[in-house]
Amino acid sequence: MLEQLATRVTTCIQCGRCTGSCPESGKTPFNVRMLVRKKQFRSVIDEAVPWYCTSCGACTIRCPRDVKPSEVIIELRSKMVEDGDIPVALQKALENTFVQKNPWGKSRNKRAAWMEKLDFEIPHVSETESKRLLFVCCIQAYDPRCMVIPANVAKILKAGGMEFGILGEEEACCGNEIRRIGESGLFEELQEENLAAFKEHGVKEIVTLSPHCMNVLKKEYGDTGIKISHYTEIVAEMIANGAITPRGSYGKKVIYHDPCFLGKQNGIFDEPRAILTSVKDLELLEFSRSREVSLCCEGGGGRMFFEVEATYQRNAEVRILDAAEKEAEVIATACPFCVMTLEDPATEKGLVVREISEILTEVL
Amino acid sequence: MKTGIFICHCGHNIKHTVDVKRLSEYFKKYPQVTVSEDYPFVCSEPGQDMISESIGKYGLDRVIIASCAPSLHGELFKDLLRKKDLNPFLLRRVSIREHCSWVGDDIEENTEKAKRLILSGLYGAAHYVPLEEKQVEVDKSALVVGGGVSGLSAALFLSKMGMQVYLVEKEAQLGGRVRELKSVWPTRMNGAKIIEEMENELKGRKNVEIFASTKITNFEGFFGNYQATLDTPEGERRITIGGAVVSIGFAPFDPVIKPELQYGKDPRVVTTIDLERAGDDLKLPDNPRIAILHCIGSRDEQIGKPYCSRICCINALRVGESIKEKYSDSYVESFYMDVRAHPRGGEEFFEDTQEKGVLFTRANIGEIIPTPSGLVLRGEDTLLGEAFEREFDMAVLSVGMSPPEDSKEMATLFKISLDKDKFFLEAHIKLRPFDTAVKGIFIAGSCSGPKDAEESINHGRAAALKLYGFLNLGYAFVDPFISFVDSKRCSGCRMCEQACVAKAIKYDEEKRVVHVEEAACMGCGLCNSTCPSSAISLRGYFDSIIDDEISALLEAI
Repeated sequence: MLEQLATRVTTCIQCGRCTGSCPESGKTPFNVRMLVRKKQFRSVIDEAVPWYCTSCGACTIRCPRDVKPSEVIIELRSKMVEDGDIPVALQKALENTFVQKNPWGKSRNKRAAWMEKLDFEIPHVSETESKRLLFVCCIQAYDPRCMVIPANVAKILKAGGMEFGILGEEEACCGNEIRRIGESGLFEELQEENLAAFKEHGVKEIVTLSPHCMNVLKKEYGDTGIKISHYTEIVAEMIANGAITPRGSYGKKVIYHDPCFLGKQNGIFDEPRAILTSVKDLELLEFSRSREVSLCCEGGGGRMFFEVEATYQRNAEVRILDAAEKEAEVIATACPFCVMTLEDPATEKGLVVREISEILTEVL
Repeated sequence: MKTGIFICHCGHNIKHTVDVKRLSEYFKKYPQVTVSEDYPFVCSEPGQDMISESIGKYGLDRVIIASCAPSLHGELFKDLLRKKDLNPFLLRRVSIREHCSWVGDDIEENTEKAKRLILSGLYGAAHYVPLEEKQVEVDKSALVVGGGVSGLSAALFLSKMGMQVYLVEKEAQLGGRVRELKSVWPTRMNGAKIIEEMENELKGRKNVEIFASTKITNFEGFFGNYQATLDTPEGERRITIGGAVVSIGFAPFDPVIKPELQYGKDPRVVTTIDLERAGDDLKLPDNPRIAILHCIGSRDEQIGKPYCSRICCINALRVGESIKEKYSDSYVESFYMDVRAHPRGGEEFFEDTQEKGVLFTRANIGEIIPTPSGLVLRGEDTLLGEAFEREFDMAVLSVGMSPPEDSKEMATLFKISLDKDKFFLEAHIKLRPFDTAVKGIFIAGSCSGPKDAEESINHGRAAALKLYGFLNLGYAFVDPFISFVDSKRCSGCRMCEQACVAKAIKYDEEKRVVHVEEAACMGCGLCNSTCPSSAISLRGYFDSIIDDEISALLEAI
């Protein structure tokens, strides 16, 4: 395990800044400060509680004693994974990832199926000159809603004159969620498999679609020497230097939702906004909770793969109500998990959710 | 050669784990040892007398004192030799306490180690030569850097003691941060008024020269004779001073780097300093809801400020009290981790504030969410274990102290070390709290860590007193440990020139050799160890001395 992820449970002063930062506080039984306290004293914890954490990272970013509460949660979960005290749906996601290298258990052979709708070919990364890899990962490879993201980003990058390739079936799940569910052994296997593929094909640069993949590749794969970016960084630069110019008009009120793994955890706030503001007639709105205090959509930390026990007003719903109050028509975001969680309540309210690449492809 | 060896018992400290009798007997067999004694406390008066008498009686030309670490009682034993007309650099101190008796418990092993340590001293001292000790005159004048409360009190003290004082302030006005305070706790005096009183007293004195809007561009020299170059509005000015008190204060923490607090983005989030600067009209409703946040920019490792700033709890209490006094219908809630009302009367002040109606909630606020109707604070009442979202009209951040913006620049100029938090580092936190590693340069006030106004004033006076003590002697000894070059061996490679931190080595283009400027040499020995042809030696630390000392330590191992 990387040194910067080591927790400091004993140094916690129980100030409660973690709970005050946590998107699950108050409305669910989850109290992160209390769990750290219980870890300090090795007290018994309610088995259902640690699974509420969405691993948004706000607690770890703000903890004044650098205890890393979100990592403490992962430690608690690891113990539960070892003991088999884990929700059935998560158990299934882990098994699927072990067998098919994706949490949904879809066939590994179909990992490049999203390319079928493209009218051009994308080479294998080993055949490219730049050795630049478009890292697709599971949700964009298999989920019918999210399969458009890699296709759109591929079109945009091509329009911007950038050469890139893919790994196809050789790519395995990045493991960001797997590590956060607490299965560090499986995470290490995935990491080794991907690193071996990167090495074999001489990968020099990786463009990720999901902020979750970017986070783990950048921060938890160790010193790979590979330049890792999120596609919004690349595209914002292309727009800035004139490599691509959105020509069409998009006369709608768009509100941008900062994904935790892109914003809070990796400081990428301005690039997605720069892409949106470059679009003609697009009116960009802001949530009250934006940028560093963006409200988590609750899609991370394994929450994508199972439902928690408690019934409460989901953050995605709160988010959509906020968006409606601001009179937004479209909620834009830059993360597949956010798209998935926000879409249901949005449809109910008559709003639409768009991944930034979808908007940009429309006006290119 | 007539060497005297004096072995100290240091009460039980050394005697307990070192066989001192056996040692003093052992060294009697060496032909160059004229006298070898052990004594309970050689630093005591009878102990000193014994050494003095032996010097006279046997005509000793080397004195070895095996006792505590050389840094302790250094000048005391040197003076002993001086009084007996023996050159003080013929004294060799051997540490058999810190380096030996305090380290191990085995009396046999300790005695053996002490024997080798003393032997090494004996071998080394054989090479000693008398060194000329320069006595220099000391300029009875002082530079005070920074015109805040600590600098002002230092300047006042030095001036009253008859020293010529030059007070340099980079801003146009004297008074630093205290000038901005409306009421300085606990006296409730107006800050500007306190400053004016000190300033007027200072301005009326003939031996004080004040330079406002002035920067120090250069500082060089040595104790008793430093030169400073000042960039004043009237042009450049050079002054000579005996020493300096550096009191450049602090910078208030800027909460912009904590984006979740919305400071700088939402005008309803203010700092305690903004509140001091604001006029009477805070544009608040008659029954305002005010949140006060403790520990902003303190006790926070995420922003590299793990320390407690010590002043902000009292500031937070002052804010709570003043709002309650001004708006009787207000709702004031103070969010704290711990209330550290440590100064005298602080705890009572805390209680008063509670009685006046300020509520205290043990919570470190996670984030502030701006909404049109108010600021929503998210936190957890850690005593109840309940998360909350509460709306306020204004959030006051009680900001801590950060090192001054120019601390690095000034540290380089005055050769002051910085601690891990980038405040000035004192020579010893308890024993030499105002001193720096450079003789005659003292630090005062919050530049050496957070202090309130009262502490800063006292700190300034104390630093000034220490400087006065040094300067008032009127003279100082200059250490003779300086480098010199054997020009016959020097190949002119100039590696020493690059190694020298004091810039004391100069290259002679014509002769193609280097030489040392004695006044500038600090005696650190870097050039000595860099020279590939052993052409540079450091007086008092010749290679032959060190070689022989090492061989004594390793003998028959």
